[in-house]
Amino acid sequence: MPDSLMSFLCRLYGAMLYAYPRGFRMEYGALMQQAFRDRCRDAARKGPANIVRFTLHSAIDWISSVWRECSFTTFALQQVRAVWSAGRNQSPRGFVGEWAVTILLYLFCATTLVQAYVVPTGSMESTVRVGDHMLVDRLAFANSSHADRRLLPYHALERGDIVCFRYPEDIQQTYVKRVIGMPGDRIRMVNKQVIRNGKLLLEPYTRHIDPAVEPFRDNFPDGPAYSVLPLGREMLRDHMVNGEVVVPPDTFFAMGDNRDNSSDSRFWGFVPMANVVGKPLIIYWSFDAPTEDLENWSVDHVFDVALHFFTKTRWERTFLVPRSQKAREVPYTP
Amino acid sequence: MGKPPVPEDLLPLTPPVFHILLALADGERHGYAIMQDVARQTGERLQLGPGTLYGCLKRMLAARLVEESGERPDPSLDDERRRYYRMTDLGREAARAEAQRLATAVHAARSRRILGRPEAAGGKA
Repeated sequence: MPDSLMSFLCRLYGAMLYAYPRGFRMEYGALMQQAFRDRCRDAARKGPANIVRFTLHSAIDWISSVWRECSFTTFALQQVRAVWSAGRNQSPRGFVGEWAVTILLYLFCATTLVQAYVVPTGSMESTVRVGDHMLVDRLAFANSSHADRRLLPYHALERGDIVCFRYPEDIQQTYVKRVIGMPGDRIRMVNKQVIRNGKLLLEPYTRHIDPAVEPFRDNFPDGPAYSVLPLGREMLRDHMVNGEVVVPPDTFFAMGDNRDNSSDSRFWGFVPMANVVGKPLIIYWSFDAPTEDLENWSVDHVFDVALHFFTKTRWERTFLVPRSQKAREVPYTP
Repeated sequence: MGKPPVPEDLLPLTPPVFHILLALADGERHGYAIMQDVARQTGERLQLGPGTLYGCLKRMLAARLVEESGERPDPSLDDERRRYYRMTDLGREAARAEAQRLATAVHAARSRRILGRPEAAGGKA
């Protein structure tokens, strides 16, 4: 067996140890990894058929022992709870109360701390792809006037951050884009390149799929604005200074990384800071499916997922973290 | 503490626990050596994975059937340090009681002609 496969299996096993309860993992995790490596080396010496058997056997061992250790922990928790509630009458009302607290906690976490989203369109393609399922950290850019800002890792929105926000034209929809301009910034484009405050941006994260240069899209805001929505027209009317758009206070200018095929601030104007939902935290699952399936789950889509889970999941994107990236600014000479 | 633990209370031992005890009968071993020995004892039929092995060892440590006996490298493998385990007196008693229980069961099976005698099975045809 090549060393790379062996080290991959060992790394995978290391990650899979997280399924065990923390106490067990702390005590035996390193020893288990060691024993796994020894067995892996042994299987490798005996030939390819052995590796397959070894992998299968390890998977079964993992499932069964995780199950056992976790139910032991649950059992231990029940014991703790029994001791804690000893002496008090365990009534049906107490049982309902316990569950109510659990459900409330879950709802709090699910609505305030993180939220799961799926990306249905390709406007951020090259950074975030169609079918990426991600968790969004809803507190990252939360209003910093809250008293608890010292307790949690907040930070102010910056240029280059990837951000999820309510689409200004229809707040039912959540968009994910990159922040290009902050309040006071002057924005325009020349030949597909952004010029911010008179400096040319070198943006490593963008992608261009169309070699043709279009007037408005690629030389923003110059040219006939056909596909501009009402809020975009408002921007072009009220915030244009010398052929540049100036970002007003408490808003930002957002663009998709897939510049030639992105519906962004060029077409529907600035995003109010109040519309910010949060910051993409991690892509936990990426599944290759068409846009319409991701927007509305159908029976066909459920079958598609069931049948092609392993082949259509983009494993290389699993647990990917979409990173903020700063563009380099260079002097612009026309 | 209450009365000292009685090995008979622990019976029947599960197959992994019993074979781990047998593997430690000759002396102390580390985790991987226990896995190898258990596979050898059972003709490769019982292969303990890391999760099963250390799950069992955790419970056996709690029941005082085995104890840890320090860490050191195994010269036959590499120079990584490994944690060694040793059987306690209670562990030896429990293994003996389990073997006795199995022997009684085998004897009963023979007397009902479910299992042949070892010498008869290998005797004249």
